[in-house]
Amino acid sequence: MLKQLSRSDLEQLLEAVAKNYALQVPQLLADGTRQLGPYDNAELSLSGQPLQRKPTSYFFPQTELLLTLDAAGNVQQPPPAEKPLALFGMDRTDLAALTFLDQFFMAPPADDIYLHRRLNALLIGLTGDAGPDSSFLPLADDGCDIELIAINQKWLALGHSEAGKSLLRKFNDGDDKQLVTLRKASRDQPSDLLQQASQLLHDDLVPDAFWEEIADRCILCSGCNLACPTCSCFCLQDRQTPNGTERSRVWDSCQLDAFMREASGHNPLGTEALRTRRRIHHKLVADVERWGELGCVACGRCDRACPTGIGMFAVAEEMVERFGLRS
Amino acid sequence: MTATLTTCPYCGTGCNFYLKADKTGRVTGVEPAGKHPTSRGQLCIKGWNAHAFVDHPERLTTPQIRQRGQLNAAGWETALDLVHEKLQGIAEKYGPDSLMFLSSAKVSNEENYLLMKLARAGFGTNNIDHCARLCHSSTVTGLVETLGSGAMTNSLSCFDETELIFVIGSNTTEQHPLIGSRILQAVQRGAKLIVADSRRIRLAKQADLHLRQQNGSDVALLNGMMRQILQDGLEDREFIASRTEGFSALEQSLDPFTPEHVSKITGLMPNQIVDAARLFGKTDKAMIVYAMGITQHSHGVDNVRAVSNLALLTGNLGRPGTGVNPLRGQNNVQGACDMGALPDVYSGYQKVADPVVREKFSKAWGCNLPESPGLMSTHAIEAAVEGKIRGMLILGENPMLSDANQAQVKQALENLDFLAVIDIFPTETAQLADVILPAACYAERDGTFTSTERRVQHGRKAVDPPGEAQADWQIVCQLLQRCGLQSDYADPAEIMTEIASLTPSYGGIAYDRLSDNGLQWPCPTSDHPGTPILHQDQCTRGKGLFSPVDYRPPKELPDADYPLLLNTGRSYFHWHTGSMTRRSHLLDREERSAFVEINPEDAKKYGFVERQQIRISSRRGSISCAAQLTGKVPVGQIFIPFHFAEGAANALTNNALDPESGIPEFKVCAVRIEPC
Repeated sequence: MLKQLSRSDLEQLLEAVAKNYALQVPQLLADGTRQLGPYDNAELSLSGQPLQRKPTSYFFPQTELLLTLDAAGNVQQPPPAEKPLALFGMDRTDLAALTFLDQFFMAPPADDIYLHRRLNALLIGLTGDAGPDSSFLPLADDGCDIELIAINQKWLALGHSEAGKSLLRKFNDGDDKQLVTLRKASRDQPSDLLQQASQLLHDDLVPDAFWEEIADRCILCSGCNLACPTCSCFCLQDRQTPNGTERSRVWDSCQLDAFMREASGHNPLGTEALRTRRRIHHKLVADVERWGELGCVACGRCDRACPTGIGMFAVAEEMVERFGLRS
Repeated sequence: MTATLTTCPYCGTGCNFYLKADKTGRVTGVEPAGKHPTSRGQLCIKGWNAHAFVDHPERLTTPQIRQRGQLNAAGWETALDLVHEKLQGIAEKYGPDSLMFLSSAKVSNEENYLLMKLARAGFGTNNIDHCARLCHSSTVTGLVETLGSGAMTNSLSCFDETELIFVIGSNTTEQHPLIGSRILQAVQRGAKLIVADSRRIRLAKQADLHLRQQNGSDVALLNGMMRQILQDGLEDREFIASRTEGFSALEQSLDPFTPEHVSKITGLMPNQIVDAARLFGKTDKAMIVYAMGITQHSHGVDNVRAVSNLALLTGNLGRPGTGVNPLRGQNNVQGACDMGALPDVYSGYQKVADPVVREKFSKAWGCNLPESPGLMSTHAIEAAVEGKIRGMLILGENPMLSDANQAQVKQALENLDFLAVIDIFPTETAQLADVILPAACYAERDGTFTSTERRVQHGRKAVDPPGEAQADWQIVCQLLQRCGLQSDYADPAEIMTEIASLTPSYGGIAYDRLSDNGLQWPCPTSDHPGTPILHQDQCTRGKGLFSPVDYRPPKELPDADYPLLLNTGRSYFHWHTGSMTRRSHLLDREERSAFVEINPEDAKKYGFVERQQIRISSRRGSISCAAQLTGKVPVGQIFIPFHFAEGAANALTNNALDPESGIPEFKVCAVRIEPC
């Protein structure tokens, strides 16, 4: 189903969504970045830099109360949200990241807290001329209920799911030919750098000394993990409160010593070099073996969050440059 | 879900981030500010976890009053009346100078200003100080003398264009991580790096030269470098002639510091000193970066003078990519100094001894003001032991863990007739209080903070404080009101208006001007754009002053009874006395308890193994903590971070003070170690 929306159509669509969902829309914040925020107090930011806060954080937040256990042993879970979530403004990498995260959290046994948030949520992708200075963002063509493709101050609207199609039904039809052209433009992949790096690691062509070098440049901020939309590791935090024990989950980072440190003090990932290698190897090799695809969606967030320039792209580039010829 | 842009509560780098909060008013996470000039979408591990302690169940939520030895909940009015009545009573009976006020590098500029107003105008004493006494008092004293201003001369953006960075006594990647990362990036693009630090810190791995001088021998090293620069003719003669004074005295003073002589004092090879001098001297744009390794000595001010001399000698001042760059450790330690939470100055470093200045403040505040400078916090502790200080109000500080010689601090605080503590957690110091007042933390109030590069920035309220806790400025206002002083400020912005009207360097600071990444002082007028680089055409004092210094050894060096040197400081994952970071899950998990870094060679000598609990004793105290075997510390030295109450490094440290700045010698004392 292809529709075409004017600006007022778009607003009508969002208004309709907001009736039944807790709608989050892209906004320009005071520091000049774009993030998702509640629809009610927002001016829409329909093109620009990638969203600073990874949108997956709506389904898997940095800190999340799981349950409260009182003195009598009663377990209480936080009440479910009044309305399901609707996120508008995710680009192709954001949607790919969420699809990847879904695999992890919804593979049996499913994570019920994630599942409850995710199952009835509505996703509205935003692609086309929605990048910085209205530059072109490749189409997602999947992974969302509705995809809005910005073109010439209008939006082609693709309904992917039933919920999406029904929300779009009342709008005018779009031009299929335009869609064909846009799809063609989206096929130009930027580069196969990550695939090359993945192959190098898979073939064990990157020496340990390389990881020591990279690790020496790491200041252990954990930002690469926390900014990554496909990182799914969390740890548990228990706190004694007057109401009982509150158990929460908190984003964790495989770059930290305590991430795998055992009670004895022994750590199977006991050096920074090993942990740095793991960060890259996990996304480029282990995930491929487990899920059949790279664990990196190439959103660039870890490269932007890294204070010393050793995010995924930077490391992959260095790896391919230095060891690529040998393969 | 809300997102509130604010300034990080930890170090002085001045990163900005968004605090995320949910509908129930709980902070749930942090997102770095993407376009902020300091954070640039990045944070360190503490920044990424800065939300974690905010809703910790141990937050203080109600005022408490000690009755028959027990702390009991009380109402605000009763508690505030009692604080005022007790402090007033002591002032009347023993004189205002029997009171001491400790302000905080963790509270806003407005709050520091109000507390110094309360001490001076409300209770008539200049006895006000804060923990800058323990970190950069040597800088303030030393650089005011040589340059006229005690702050970082340049901006963080200068790291992007410098040719050489000389880091001496700063573990930058751990203590100012987003500055440390700029240094690492500078190295990546080809800048040279000299690291002078006895510990093999992360930066040392990337350094062109790593000088592991003996702790406390910095004057000898710096003098030796300067002598060599002169020998090689690498000094900046034009700069010396046009911008400085006192050169010949410096030149003469350097004579004895031959590479061989310096080698004996520092433990370095003579050629290392020569190499460092040549590398530094041949560079056009060099930044000197320093922190506690320079300041926390009984000769801390001399160390600062030597650093300043080196910059003046080579003309590394007043230009982009150069400068004397002391890194301030707390998010508002610069501001607390700027606001006059110091015993000898009002806001903007205006001297209390100056009758014209006093008259100005006296008129503005509508009361008489005390003339003689007050006590430094370290001297106040000594005075409390002697019974000369009898009442104390401590705002957001924890001297029980942060000050040198814990036994003496405990004795001092227990000796007081009355102690009131304003804090967010029941710290070790709060446990000794007669009254505890619960405060809002950084996430729960508005105010401004001044970063190490003199950038005045907003801190913004994201959520409500827990229980009955109140913002520090509101608490202090209620005490001002009880002292009969004007206290009806509507909000912190109004307090800033008063600060600007009385403080030349903040004259142009106003809330509506700070939204775009703040302003760097001096900013004297409402149309002034701020000052990224100090001392450009001339130094604040006019000519830059060479201030020759001689080498003085630390007060207590290892001997037969106490054969090892104890070095203390912070670790990467924890913050000061741990009240916030030990209540932040990921940070606490990373380092759960007290530890001591010991060289594997020493461990072998004593028969210690990794993680073994060992006893460490000095002439002042004894603690136990777990051994961490690492080549990071040299043979003969151990290092203990001071975050842990159960293994308090400051039970051991020496409260030998610098005669001018009053800073204790945290970086050197003698200890012995044995199995537990």
